[in-house]
Amino acid sequence: MTLSVLLLASALVPAAINFEEQVKPILEHRCFKCHGEKKQKGDLRLDTLPSNLLKDRVAAETWHDVRDVLNLSEMPPEKEEPLPPAELKILTSWITQKIDAVVAAQKHTDGRVILRRLNRTEYQNTMRDLLGIEMDYTKNLPPEALSEDGFRNNGEVLQMSDLQLEYYLEAARKGLAKAIVTGSQPEVFENEFTKTVKDKNRGSHLLDKDQQFVAKLMDYPEEGEILIQAKVRAQFAAGRGYPRLRAAIGYRADVQAPRGFITPVDVTSEDWQTIEFRARIENFPLPSKTQSKFPGLLLWLDNAYAEGRDKPLKARGKGKKQKAQKGPLTYPQIEVASMTFTGPIFNDWPPSHHTNILFPSKSRSNEETYSKAVLRNFMSKAFRRLIADEEISPYLRFFKSARPKMESFEEAIRETLAMVLISPDFLYLVEPSGSSKRPVSDWELASRLSYFLWSSMPDPQLFSLAKKGTLSQPEVLQKEISRMISDKRSWQFVEQFADQWLDVGALQRVAINPNFYPKFDSSLKASMRGETLHFFGELFQKNLSALNILDSNFTMLDESLAKHYGLTGPKGSNFERVYLKSEDYRGGVLTQGSVLVGNSTGADSHPVKRAVWIRERLLGDPPAPPPPNVPDLDSTDPNFARLSIREQLAEHRKQVSCNECHRGIDPWGISLENFGADGLWRKKILRKKIKGKGIIKLPVLAEATLPDGNAVDGIAGLKNYLLKHRRDQFARAFTSKLLTYALGRRLELVDEKSVDELTEKFIESEYRIKDLIHLVVASKTFQTK
Amino acid sequence: MSRKSWHLPRRTFLQGLGASLSLPFLECMAADVKNAVRPKRFCAIYFPYGVSLPRKSKNKANPEAKWQWFPDAEGRDFQFNESLKSLEPLRKQVSILGGLSHPNGRKIGGHDTADIFLTAAELKGGQLKNSVSLDQLLAAKLGDDTRYRSLSLSVDGGVGEATRSSTLSFSRSGQPVPALHNPRLVFNRLFGKEDKSINSRRQELENSDHMLDLVLEHSKSVRRKLGKQDQDKFDEYLQSVRQIEQRVERSEKWLDIPKPKIEITGLHLDADDKTPGDLIKTMLDLMFLAIQTDSTRFLTYQMGNMNGATSIATKFPSLLGFGKNQHSLAHGWNKPGGAEALGKWDRFRAEQLSYFLQRLQDTRENEGTLLDHTMVLYGSSNSTTHNNTNYPLVVAGGDKLGLKHGAYHRFGSDVPLSNLFVTMANRLGMPGSRFVDSTGEMTELIA
Repeated sequence: MTLSVLLLASALVPAAINFEEQVKPILEHRCFKCHGEKKQKGDLRLDTLPSNLLKDRVAAETWHDVRDVLNLSEMPPEKEEPLPPAELKILTSWITQKIDAVVAAQKHTDGRVILRRLNRTEYQNTMRDLLGIEMDYTKNLPPEALSEDGFRNNGEVLQMSDLQLEYYLEAARKGLAKAIVTGSQPEVFENEFTKTVKDKNRGSHLLDKDQQFVAKLMDYPEEGEILIQAKVRAQFAAGRGYPRLRAAIGYRADVQAPRGFITPVDVTSEDWQTIEFRARIENFPLPSKTQSKFPGLLLWLDNAYAEGRDKPLKARGKGKKQKAQKGPLTYPQIEVASMTFTGPIFNDWPPSHHTNILFPSKSRSNEETYSKAVLRNFMSKAFRRLIADEEISPYLRFFKSARPKMESFEEAIRETLAMVLISPDFLYLVEPSGSSKRPVSDWELASRLSYFLWSSMPDPQLFSLAKKGTLSQPEVLQKEISRMISDKRSWQFVEQFADQWLDVGALQRVAINPNFYPKFDSSLKASMRGETLHFFGELFQKNLSALNILDSNFTMLDESLAKHYGLTGPKGSNFERVYLKSEDYRGGVLTQGSVLVGNSTGADSHPVKRAVWIRERLLGDPPAPPPPNVPDLDSTDPNFARLSIREQLAEHRKQVSCNECHRGIDPWGISLENFGADGLWRKKILRKKIKGKGIIKLPVLAEATLPDGNAVDGIAGLKNYLLKHRRDQFARAFTSKLLTYALGRRLELVDEKSVDELTEKFIESEYRIKDLIHLVVASKTFQTK
Repeated sequence: MSRKSWHLPRRTFLQGLGASLSLPFLECMAADVKNAVRPKRFCAIYFPYGVSLPRKSKNKANPEAKWQWFPDAEGRDFQFNESLKSLEPLRKQVSILGGLSHPNGRKIGGHDTADIFLTAAELKGGQLKNSVSLDQLLAAKLGDDTRYRSLSLSVDGGVGEATRSSTLSFSRSGQPVPALHNPRLVFNRLFGKEDKSINSRRQELENSDHMLDLVLEHSKSVRRKLGKQDQDKFDEYLQSVRQIEQRVERSEKWLDIPKPKIEITGLHLDADDKTPGDLIKTMLDLMFLAIQTDSTRFLTYQMGNMNGATSIATKFPSLLGFGKNQHSLAHGWNKPGGAEALGKWDRFRAEQLSYFLQRLQDTRENEGTLLDHTMVLYGSSNSTTHNNTNYPLVVAGGDKLGLKHGAYHRFGSDVPLSNLFVTMANRLGMPGSRFVDSTGEMTELIA
């Protein structure tokens, strides 16, 4: 098996060009006359220029310049015979291969994980888990870039800046101000509303499309967790899914109103039931104490059903009370009996997020002793390891200097802990190292594991196993991986890894053109993202074969996406398995909206984008980026618009310089031509007329000849081909992507062997995803610093 | 810090979006102000993928030729084509430059050049290391007198990745400076009300200062334990701590001076990538306000980058009704109908520039206008897509700083774009400048 994998892998790499046999004869014939022994025009001599670029950096840069003039057709000069394309290709490819090797050598990290900063998601989750407070810690942080491999957790790419650090400090102060409370137990507000406010014709107990149940609170807490309970029942409509109850908090009723929403919940029964919403009140827009125009806090309930999708909340309902309808309902409804508001809610005072940091202690009265104990406890969690005495001293020094200037002990300790939260040991996964590689410690393993599967800090159990020093024992480790995967936090892995690997984010970069797709509702994009993530999540949690990614007999849909695809699906907003038949033309990620829409132009398919996606994401063989100054496709043919995209691309490939790359790209995307920019099956392609108004229709042509000579017809042919001829290549690509994500670094030449071994075992395990995760964690590569 | 006494009242009383509100007050201050040294500013606005450049065919008239971005004839009697027509009312304040590019950019990938628009650097080696951008160089030398040394904005925000950076600004060590992309965040930094008292903010700043000292000290011991590669990465952190220390010190100096009061009416602070028209306009409004209130003097705005694969700006033209996404429009310019399609998008972008310039021109400052003391560079690092020469460029403003406008100039490939940078830097307060590959000044632009 290894052999076949290796053969496949090497077949993909363009054959190395031999300098003496292939390159030098061309140079002798074409170049040495002016750049050789006798003449050195432009101060350039090629016959003595070293061909080992790795050893000679200056030579490498000179070759780099040679490639540029060749690419720009600046050489040979006009009076000389131009280079035949085949020779040009040999020269530029050879230089490119050599330069790539130099670049790779420069970036060489010996296959070691580079000091890695927590990314946005990891920082958000870690702060929440460490402080026990739900809030948006990353709101002001600058966005982060994707690495070349498409991941957001690559240590090389994650940068630090003063702006970043400034906002870390701000977030730490805000979070600590909530986590550590002062003063006595706050007053708890409890209100029950059995009638909606009927202000300006708003308000209803029956929630149809536009009605709202409204309550107004004159006294309310400004901080802390709150609970909203709604007593409701559903009234179903034939052929429609469950109505969705949504709660909102704000203070103005007009259209400019800032208001925040709590995630809606499906109402799945026609019996009376109580639905609960929890949130922290300070995360919502609250009325300013000094403004008097809109006094009081408003609470809304409405029906967010829109074939299972969220819809924007209208500023005002249509007003009129929903009359009892005659005949069957056409829209699912919610009847509201009452709503209660309670807050702040807490089990104890001070709450656990406070006592987790400022724990009860006998030494409490001695501020110095106590603050040292507090620091040790907090730093150990924040730095994810044991803390030595001398490490505490700078923080203690800070506390002592700040304490006399601050009003209370709590204030001073908050500031001191904020200092912990801008320390490198917290913001980075720090792994000390010397010149040679070493196995990671149990503490480091705990962090690697939890950031891999949870995108957050280790939990108490992982910490305790690390402290005992038993985590790295294979049987303990196996058990922990299984425990972590069954924990709901492992959804973070799905949401991060699958989203980044399959580039689900592409959906948000495309705007669907309503001229061609008048029925496409952009909120479908959220369902399309959900489909791909839940599909991957299902394969992962049920330990199914990764080959389902290439083709499967089911997908995961909610009500609205099933309707869009024309399939019978679930009734609500939860994603459930929907089995597929061959006439549905679906199955596998290639037929999912996230891939098809994300890699379209919004008006039409984009075969080149789709092709690049297949080669990069599924086959691990991304095509090279466009070279500088490639000629534009100069087509003045007015009938160009009448050509199908397949024919247009064929025109494009008639140009030698384009064909070099595009013959290996276009066919992959052509085979998906039956899917439009909306992700739906189509028999005709719509195209706007160049002159005059109107739309012309072209037939779909989805037959293509792949670079290896195999002909495929449309999506079915493509999927068969992938499963038959590219299965192991896919397995290797998937293994590489997973390992890249698990390590948070680029893979290098030294990792090839490890990838081969993992791929082989992955194939032996019948491509099961959970098995591969166990294999990756158990690998030496994962456990080495 | 050399802050002139008149700064304070002017800052405090500037109100609203329009200058008219503050005029009566400024007029009565005029006597004091006449002799004051006026701020000198630089502002760069970048757009990706180049422009529409249809050729004139010899025999028959090409109906799309009017979408050629560059004017047809050189010199002072040039006529704007369709794309830049909105600049007509400002023709005495602008110059159109053709034929320029960064020589180092001619060698790299067609979509790789946004990073060096303001740096002229050669991105080489595995790390594709950049060097200082013009705005940051100026800010480092001349940015002491304002609340913020510089302001970097972009549509995508952050730093992005090398060759697809989402910022135009690079520090003196070649590190990308993260750009802000959320209008509300920009507003809050510049003008936002502080929710804490001066005393508690002073205490916080004092604490921050002390914290950072100790963190820096402690970090040195962390660094020693790291491997070589980790140390290089860790230095980014150390550098950030040092920079933020300077920033804290600056904040302490500005603590007692209230931020300018700005009415938010008319500003779309919640605009985002779903409402690109509002987003771009609001960012330009904020830049205008930052200039008007003298909150900073060195600004950059990247109106999109060439990361077609990840930039949220890719879809802007389709959302605004220009039919296609940014990349497709740019690629299609020489297909039938394509020159006009891209030309209309070029025109839209130029209208944003005109709006911004017009606001600067309409706002009086002492005896003149804001524009006559603000040099604005607008352009792209592609002529047409993938083509790294003949950048489409507009230089505006700064005529009281020694620039001469009102003409269309074409240059040969022997003139590096850095010559323009040197010409500007010399007149902004850094005489005798050199910049990367500059060979001298651009006499065409010197008054």
